[in-house]
Amino acid sequence: MLFSGLDILIPVLVVLVLLLLFVSVKTVPQGHNYTVERFGRYTRTLSPGLNIITPFIDRVGAKMNMMEQVLDVPTQEVITRDNAIVAVDGVAFYQVLSAPQAAYQVSGLENAILNLTMTNIRSVMGSMDLDELLSNRDMINEKLLRIVDEAANPWGIKMTRVEIKDINPPANLVESMARQMMAERNKRAQILEAEGLKQAQILEAEGRREAAFRDAEARERAAEAEARATEVVSEAIAKGDVQAVNYFVAQKYTEALAKIGSSNNNKIVLMPFEASALIGTLGGIGQIARDVFGADGKSPRPSTPRPPTTGPAREQ
Amino acid sequence: MLQSVLTELGPWNWMVLGFILLALEILVPGIFLLWIGIAAILTGALTLQLWGLIWWPWQVQVLVFLVLSVASALIGKKLMDARRADDTDQPLLNKRAEQLVGRTASLDEPIDNGYGRIRIDDTTWRVSGPDLPAGTRVRVTSAESGELKVEKA
Repeated sequence: MLFSGLDILIPVLVVLVLLLLFVSVKTVPQGHNYTVERFGRYTRTLSPGLNIITPFIDRVGAKMNMMEQVLDVPTQEVITRDNAIVAVDGVAFYQVLSAPQAAYQVSGLENAILNLTMTNIRSVMGSMDLDELLSNRDMINEKLLRIVDEAANPWGIKMTRVEIKDINPPANLVESMARQMMAERNKRAQILEAEGLKQAQILEAEGRREAAFRDAEARERAAEAEARATEVVSEAIAKGDVQAVNYFVAQKYTEALAKIGSSNNNKIVLMPFEASALIGTLGGIGQIARDVFGADGKSPRPSTPRPPTTGPAREQ
Repeated sequence: MLQSVLTELGPWNWMVLGFILLALEILVPGIFLLWIGIAAILTGALTLQLWGLIWWPWQVQVLVFLVLSVASALIGKKLMDARRADDTDQPLLNKRAEQLVGRTASLDEPIDNGYGRIRIDDTTWRVSGPDLPAGTRVRVTSAESGELKVEKA
């Protein structure tokens, strides 16, 4: 047989070729890069799609995920600058930009990034006060991102974000923070109340001042009017007859008497004045009548002004 | 066994083998059975022409089949590579730095000793370029393994 030795070789060759094809045809899925090592030394990177590597001498080394990945930063205790102990956890996002660097420049990439992030969270937060910590998360994230990104640069990765998730101070600290807030608010309320009171009192005083001013003005006006009235009356008296005044006074006297007499529960009438004065005024009225009608019933003569007398002329 | 199968059924064996391999390629992940299947079908076609000739015994058929397997794999790879540039509508997928080429941004930090920082898409990037003061508008010109090169925009 011509191919007697070949008959044994052929199946072996078939198996070998199938194996070779199986090993050298590499389909890289999207989102991954494979590194190729020739005798253990890195030579090139396989990008997504169909790739063929040289069998025997080439091997696929690392299969790097080129998608952005999320890394959970576990809770750790951090001591702030003002010696408060807070529990902090976070999350980091990174993406491999260069497969060979990420594969060979660092051993245990994820662990390296995680430790780097955790230590930097400690150093950044340790340089701040608790109050700053709670109110400046954006700034902390920014700082962390910058530091970690710079540090991870040689590993061919890009830190896209580093975010602090929770900052938990211990329970007793939280309680005193709440008390502080309450006290702050109480203080503000009290200040506001006092302010209100002060304002009210000022307004009230202003009101009183205004009222006093106006009262004084009113009194002044009243006095002026009184003076004016008196002036008018005295002028009228100066011009006219004193008896006219007597007439008005007599009218008032009699009215007053009538009032006193008509009050029903007084049996005793006190007359705290000279009754004779009243009679005097009546005499004054008689005088007027005489002046007006004349003693003999003729037309009245014009009266000449006379200085007023305080009472009726008794000596007549 | 192999000999009897190959000698009795002749060219149709190759054809059947080829199509079975193509069917398996669909079921099994990885893209290496396809080339063997193609090779088997081609061998079958050749055998159909050369059946019964004295220099076309089954041993030669098998060797031709093996050579064709390797050749079809290599040719397939070449064809794929030729069409590689335009067979996707997202050539920049997973290439975060390359996606930024052509974008403009303001320098967050001055470029000093060749390196500065810009802020794009809510994250900061280390950039290299000529020394420029902070706040200058720059354009990303190229990206290589995570390093952006910029020029004054």
